[in-house]
Amino acid sequence: MDFSALNDALASKSYDQIAEICDTLMLQVSSQGVVFQDEWPYAIHLLGHIYINDINSARFLWKRIPLAVKESKPEVVAAWKIGQKLWTRDYAGVHEAIHEFNWSPEAQGIVASFSELYTKSMFELLVSAYSTISTQDTALFLGLNADDAANYSLQRGWTLDPTSQMLTVKKQAVATEQKLDSSKLQRLTEYVFHLEH
Amino acid sequence: MNLNMNSMESLVAQIQGLSGSIADVNQLHSLLKQSEDLFQSELARLAPLLTELDPSIHSLGYLYILEACTSAPISKDEANELVLSVARFINLCAAEQIRLAPDKFISVCKRFKDQVMLLEDPMRGVAPMLTALRKLQLSSEQLTTLHPDFLLICLLAKCYKTGLSILEDDIFEVDQPRDFFLYCYYGGMICIGQKKFSKALELLHNVVTAPMSILNAIAVEAYKKYILVSLIHLGQFSISFPKYTSSVAQRNLKNFSQVMCELETCVLANNEKFEFDKNLGLVKQVVSSMYKRNIQRLTQTYLTLSLQDIANTVQLNSAKEAEMHVLQMIQDGEIYATINQKDGMVRFLEDPEQYKSCEMIERIDSSIQRIMMLSRKLTDMDELLSCDPLYLAKAGRERQRFDFDDFDTVPSKFTI
Repeated sequence: MDFSALNDALASKSYDQIAEICDTLMLQVSSQGVVFQDEWPYAIHLLGHIYINDINSARFLWKRIPLAVKESKPEVVAAWKIGQKLWTRDYAGVHEAIHEFNWSPEAQGIVASFSELYTKSMFELLVSAYSTISTQDTALFLGLNADDAANYSLQRGWTLDPTSQMLTVKKQAVATEQKLDSSKLQRLTEYVFHLEH
Repeated sequence: MNLNMNSMESLVAQIQGLSGSIADVNQLHSLLKQSEDLFQSELARLAPLLTELDPSIHSLGYLYILEACTSAPISKDEANELVLSVARFINLCAAEQIRLAPDKFISVCKRFKDQVMLLEDPMRGVAPMLTALRKLQLSSEQLTTLHPDFLLICLLAKCYKTGLSILEDDIFEVDQPRDFFLYCYYGGMICIGQKKFSKALELLHNVVTAPMSILNAIAVEAYKKYILVSLIHLGQFSISFPKYTSSVAQRNLKNFSQVMCELETCVLANNEKFEFDKNLGLVKQVVSSMYKRNIQRLTQTYLTLSLQDIANTVQLNSAKEAEMHVLQMIQDGEIYATINQKDGMVRFLEDPEQYKSCEMIERIDSSIQRIMMLSRKLTDMDELLSCDPLYLAKAGRERQRFDFDDFDTVPSKFTI
């Protein structure tokens, strides 16, 4: 089996391509009749799906993994645990699942990168969904302890009410590209003209 | 015997010689058609001949011999060999040559699929079947008979994402109705697995409303799934069919919707039935989607509501649980709201989309383009149909009879 493309992607930290590379390679080697199950990097493959938030594919991959592999490789189980927590929307559980396992050197990079990404997306979710939220809950969502969570959000413009331990969320103005180039406007005008005549 | 030996060898020589230009290949094709009986009588000696041919250059000849080879029943050990050699052929063969003999190619691929399933290793078939159907297709709008087989293998191998890749193509050309039924049914199941419910609904809807003269099992199963997916995705389900649904389907499918009466009690009572249909997972998703639907309904009535009130009306156990439901729905973009933990309140907001961003204009534009393309297709089909001699003969006959009746009554009054 030729894992060079996978290794390149891992080395260059292009983690978003890992799932695709692994999927293609798996289909290719299995069509050649190669028995790959014993040496397949299932943990990395699972993490690749999780990294791009494709929990459905991670779930189906998990179902394809032979029982013997699940029993002999704790890292595969640990990787799926992250997927499981994402699947059940156990936001705090995701952070726990990331931190409670001692990842192998190959997996460390992608796990760390995912963890960072996940914290960031959780923060964005909090910004969009809450106007006030307790520091305790913020800490759970971000996977930090209460002080760090408060600091993290204060740095991003939130304010803290010390008596109630409630954070007030600062909404970010979303700048969307609204400038139209004239060719598009021209096209839409043509459609309308066509419809009216 | 000796003659046969010679003619087999000369045939191989012909294949090697006539695989260059289009004219050569056409000549070879007619030669091969004549030699089919010979293949049948010489089955045992065919396999070694394949080693003398290059599948990428002598694709057509290779295909004929391979097809003859695979027609014989084989043992499990041989099946492994066969699967390997067919997979290799599919990968290497030249598309323009195999398209000359689509029937042979399809038959090889179908047997390949059967063997892969016999070996209980459907994943081995996924990549070759995808390549095969792409090579067989003249355009991405054509539905080949390999489409449903490919989707089935994807389902069995749990490679849902790979299956999704062919479902993005818009299909306009269908040869066999059965292929279309199965394609939409399996496609619907793939989309359900990937939680693409609107696409799943579209595909299953196609099965239910497709023209049919007698009811088929595929439509019945698709209809059951259609009801459940519709409940998950739209929160409702209408018993009436669109008017283009065949009357057979309208009459018969109604009976199947009765199972879906009162949801919760129904789920418990019909557990076994759903399990038997392998729809239990979907039914469970319907039940959990009811919470969402009810929360969504609240947004239409209230501007602000306490989490406790939400929990009470939607029948959740606690305010915290309600908060988590609302949060999930915000995350999925299903509602627009902000949660105020301090006061325990939720404020429902309007959809922030103002339909004036560049991205939205792009989307509108591409939708218009698609509709225009579809409309062109429809006009083309209409023109084609109105030139069809069969159609004209039928339509003409009917008009004539009508005219004749008209004429008949008028003069009869005058003759008296």
